[in-house]
Amino acid sequence: MFQLRVKVLLLLLVLLGSTTFGAAEPGGNGDGLRDMQCGGACHGDAGQNATSSLSLSIETPEHVWAGQPTEVTIVVAGVDVSHDEDLVGLFLLSSTNANGDTPLSNGWEILSDGSGGTGNYVERSTDGSGASLQHTWILRADAIGERTLFASVHHGDATGSSQGRPFFGISEAFVINIEPVPEDLPRLHEDFVPPSMREVGEVTLVELQTKFTETVAVEWQTEDGVTLEASVNASGEQVWEFTLPATLKPSSLQWRATFTGQGPEQTTPWFTLAAQVTPAEVDDRPIYIQGLAMGLLLFGAVVALQKPRTNSEDLLKTFDQTVEIQTIQAADSVVESTSDAPAPLPEGGLPPGWTEEQWAWYGHEYLAGTYGGGQ
Amino acid sequence: MVSSNTFHVVATELVVGAYSLAGIAFVFCLVCPWLPTSLKEKRSAGDAVAHSALMFGIIATPFAIWSGLSSAPSGDMGSPLLANKMLLSMSGLGLALGALVGRWRIGAAIWETKRSSIIQACSGAGATGLMLLTASAGGKFSRGESLLDWLHLPYNEVMLMPTYLSVILLLLGLTCTVIGFRPTD
Repeated sequence: MFQLRVKVLLLLLVLLGSTTFGAAEPGGNGDGLRDMQCGGACHGDAGQNATSSLSLSIETPEHVWAGQPTEVTIVVAGVDVSHDEDLVGLFLLSSTNANGDTPLSNGWEILSDGSGGTGNYVERSTDGSGASLQHTWILRADAIGERTLFASVHHGDATGSSQGRPFFGISEAFVINIEPVPEDLPRLHEDFVPPSMREVGEVTLVELQTKFTETVAVEWQTEDGVTLEASVNASGEQVWEFTLPATLKPSSLQWRATFTGQGPEQTTPWFTLAAQVTPAEVDDRPIYIQGLAMGLLLFGAVVALQKPRTNSEDLLKTFDQTVEIQTIQAADSVVESTSDAPAPLPEGGLPPGWTEEQWAWYGHEYLAGTYGGGQ
Repeated sequence: MVSSNTFHVVATELVVGAYSLAGIAFVFCLVCPWLPTSLKEKRSAGDAVAHSALMFGIIATPFAIWSGLSSAPSGDMGSPLLANKMLLSMSGLGLALGALVGRWRIGAAIWETKRSSIIQACSGAGATGLMLLTASAGGKFSRGESLLDWLHLPYNEVMLMPTYLSVILLLLGLTCTVIGFRPTD
């Protein structure tokens, strides 16, 4: 028994020893709104993380006004120097709590993640980026005061001794001073939310709400950098409209507006508008019905096959005396066969006048004194 | 507040752990007659482990399915992988429930005949296999890789039947269940 336990223990040790370290999600996990704890390894062991040697910093404009869109750029330096990253995941965080630490938790609104979404996490390929990679979000603060932002990165290593290991890094805290907006500054209305996603082939009519603005000029640019001006029309008091052309394939374009009025001229950050092909709506019902049918069929099959013995079968088993009867019959047959055997001969041999055949048939009666009526 | 993603990870880990333990115990119970005498005597313990772990897995499975649906990016079956997960997990749940109900009705005597012990072990181990496939599909969906990648399973192809065929199977399953529960005089 002891030897068996030792063998089992050794087997477990071999199995544990044969496990390998690996990057948790080498194919990326998609852009989204994520806490810092996802920079570890969902479904994996965050304790495997190594420290990234990438250098992180955050850049913001000189003035960040409450209620106005502002560009926040993460700059990653040292790309492809110590590691072969391939793909990096960038987080814009408001704290290092690892939970509840997105900018939304600290009074920020994410108007654009620069990739057609409104999350705090984006994945970027390092191919062709050189040693430095930048990514810009458009945020809007809800009130004046000091706010802290952190940049965080996670990535793998495609080659070398650290191949497959997950790396994680976080910047120092960057304090941003949110100032009150000058009263007469021509600007966007606090309620304006720029569109961030649309369908391929769809023309987009954007309605701008402004304050203290007399004229608006809008320019937009495609992914290859060609910049064009859009025609802007006033459609109401401090309301302006312009149209962005459709794209023929999934891609993105950027646009920005310049406002003039009593105060100094203002230009918004570049807003990104991505175009995608939304997959056709899936009808879930057939899948649910089939799942239920398969589950019920397998359940029913097992239940039907594993029927307990019924009562009549139990009764049959209780009163079935076949074995006992067979035993008795066997004993009887032994007795009968014993009585069929010829009687032992008397000391003097066969009685006078008896043949062997007669003795075989009537020997028992002769010995019992009943042969011939006992006479 | 725990997000549905985190809850799904917890629920699936409970399901996979419980079913794996149950699967090992079912296989042990099946091969028990051919094992050395010292191990043969442990069949009652294997039986208890198999069915209690299976029951725990069954309790945790609906939570895993529900949280999985809630944490899906589009909240529905927008991916063939998710559809396969639903079909596999429901099939596994059906087999597991069948095995547990069979054990409850027959008792420990389920291991006394060759026929019933094979059916029981195959049901339990089959449920485990289906749940492990479900977990593997989940890994493929969220991380792009899974431990069963070497099997090259066609996770992106859904064997979706016409609804009328599903309804026929549903009725067949109901009929089997009724026959299974009907006492025979």
